[in-house]
Amino acid sequence: MQKSLYLTSNGRLRRHENTLYFETEVEKRSIDIENVEQIHIFGEVDLNTKALNYISQYGIVLHFYNYYGFYAGSFLPRKKNVSGDVVVRQALHYLDREKRLFLAYCFVESAVYHMMRNLRERKEAEAFLIAIEDEWGKGRFNISNIAELMGLEGRIRNIYYQSFNQFLPEDFAMEKREKRPPTNPINALISFGNSLIYSHTLSQIYQTQLDPTISFLHEPSEKRFSLSLDISEIFKPLIVDTVIFKLLNNRQISLEHFDEDLNYCYLNQEGKKIFIKEFQSKLETTVRHRQLNRNVSYKGFIRLECYKLIKHFIGDQVYSPLKAWW
Amino acid sequence: MEDIQEFSEVKFQGIKINYLYICKRKLWLFSKNITFESTSDKVLLGKVLHEYSYPKENTKEVLIDNLVMIDILSDGSIREVKYSSKMKEADIMQVVYYLYYLKQKGIQKQGIINYPKEKRKEVLELTPEYKEKVKQALKEIEEITTKPIPPPAQKQKICKSCAYFEFCWG
Amino acid sequence: MFVIVTYDINEKRVNKVRKILKKYFTWVQNSVFEGEITLGKLEKCKRELLSVIEKDEDSVYFYEMEYKLVCNKKVLGQEKNYDSIII
Repeated sequence: MQKSLYLTSNGRLRRHENTLYFETEVEKRSIDIENVEQIHIFGEVDLNTKALNYISQYGIVLHFYNYYGFYAGSFLPRKKNVSGDVVVRQALHYLDREKRLFLAYCFVESAVYHMMRNLRERKEAEAFLIAIEDEWGKGRFNISNIAELMGLEGRIRNIYYQSFNQFLPEDFAMEKREKRPPTNPINALISFGNSLIYSHTLSQIYQTQLDPTISFLHEPSEKRFSLSLDISEIFKPLIVDTVIFKLLNNRQISLEHFDEDLNYCYLNQEGKKIFIKEFQSKLETTVRHRQLNRNVSYKGFIRLECYKLIKHFIGDQVYSPLKAWW
Repeated sequence: MEDIQEFSEVKFQGIKINYLYICKRKLWLFSKNITFESTSDKVLLGKVLHEYSYPKENTKEVLIDNLVMIDILSDGSIREVKYSSKMKEADIMQVVYYLYYLKQKGIQKQGIINYPKEKRKEVLELTPEYKEKVKQALKEIEEITTKPIPPPAQKQKICKSCAYFEFCWG
Repeated sequence: MFVIVTYDINEKRVNKVRKILKKYFTWVQNSVFEGEITLGKLEKCKRELLSVIEKDEDSVYFYEMEYKLVCNKKVLGQEKNYDSIII
């Protein structure tokens, strides 16, 4: 598996005689560039075009995050896997109202499935699980447009987040989900995790022929690579939330790992490192895939979702979103 | 520059001939540029192993994909190196296609397929039967690649080592 | 797979060899590299090295293990985590 690098320290990414180095105040480390797939940059890092050009030669994707750990942007080297045919057909699925709604529905269906899955083994959250099942059960058949679907998803997500109070430590009480900016620790964790899954999903999309800007659930007119937002919906409860539960319930992350700024609450450097470590180990965890009869990592499942979408677009196989069976 | 352009087109057609005999679905996907070679470690390995057995001197090497490597030898004959003779028909047809192409340009050459592991080689001439078969193959390629949807996946033994495995079966 | 690489190279070429190894492995100590790597990349690395070394003078050893877990690494004194992916 090609690896992800996370630079949380401040420093300089430098190319010197065809070796890539990350230089910080305390060390100068050479990077085994042949094995790297993506680099996530959290610290204050300097780099120049000489380094960027070298990184591009290896098709490595760079993701940048701001001081608070929120996604800021990506550097995607010139793409090799381009198929105009796939892009045209992907766009057709956006333009056709029914086809678009079908895909949007699939993403929400899978997201809801994974939310329910997270609550299933928790007795404390039983009432919330029932409430979600109820909301989804009666809502899912009455959707005629994207806005209604979004509304339903929003209501379900509210119940879901409320349930966190039942099984997470008291320090991490969720009053309500706040995105911009998160003002308490639990919201800060969710936002940070969502930034990570978003950029990792983008990395996987980038490896395929899909166009990251044509999306179905989210409006493509949003500034970001909105297909990555769509696919992330599936993996937020499956990957991000389970990482958060584990970190909090094992007391690996506590209030000391957060800093506060005026309105912001965010993970400090140590907190980010702990989170990233657990997140990365989740991505590398493998599950036996029934059809492939091979072990597939969580990261691999993101890629497979991209493949399934391509197959859907080219009329090969109707898309059926992931529903974790393990 | 023009020559390179043209040769890459011929090369592209050559791979398609090869795929026609291996997997028609792969042929369709490849024709739409839906390929996964660049992220496959097996493909990389194949490439590197080729370089071991045939260092670059004396040959102008044209990489075709994991299974196929075309060398134009200094004497002008065409050589392909294969790791096994499992896909013999596909290999033969591909080389024969290059001979066919060269013949149309007024160049008569020999084709050689090397199987270094098996310490064997196969020498090919463009016979009238082969010529007919190439024409037929080109027609079939045209038919398959102009279809709006790909031929459905069919499980074969070779699926497991194919760069498209996860795509087709995941 | 997990690989440990050690080398003994004539001074004239040692820099080139080190540069190649840095692209594929993590530097551990003088003349020692290690790291997880795929089979394809490993062969590519060897191929690159072959184009640089003099076979009758230089040597590069590869200790190849199927999994990292197989290698029971013990450290006396300072351990440096040059292989961590979070820096």
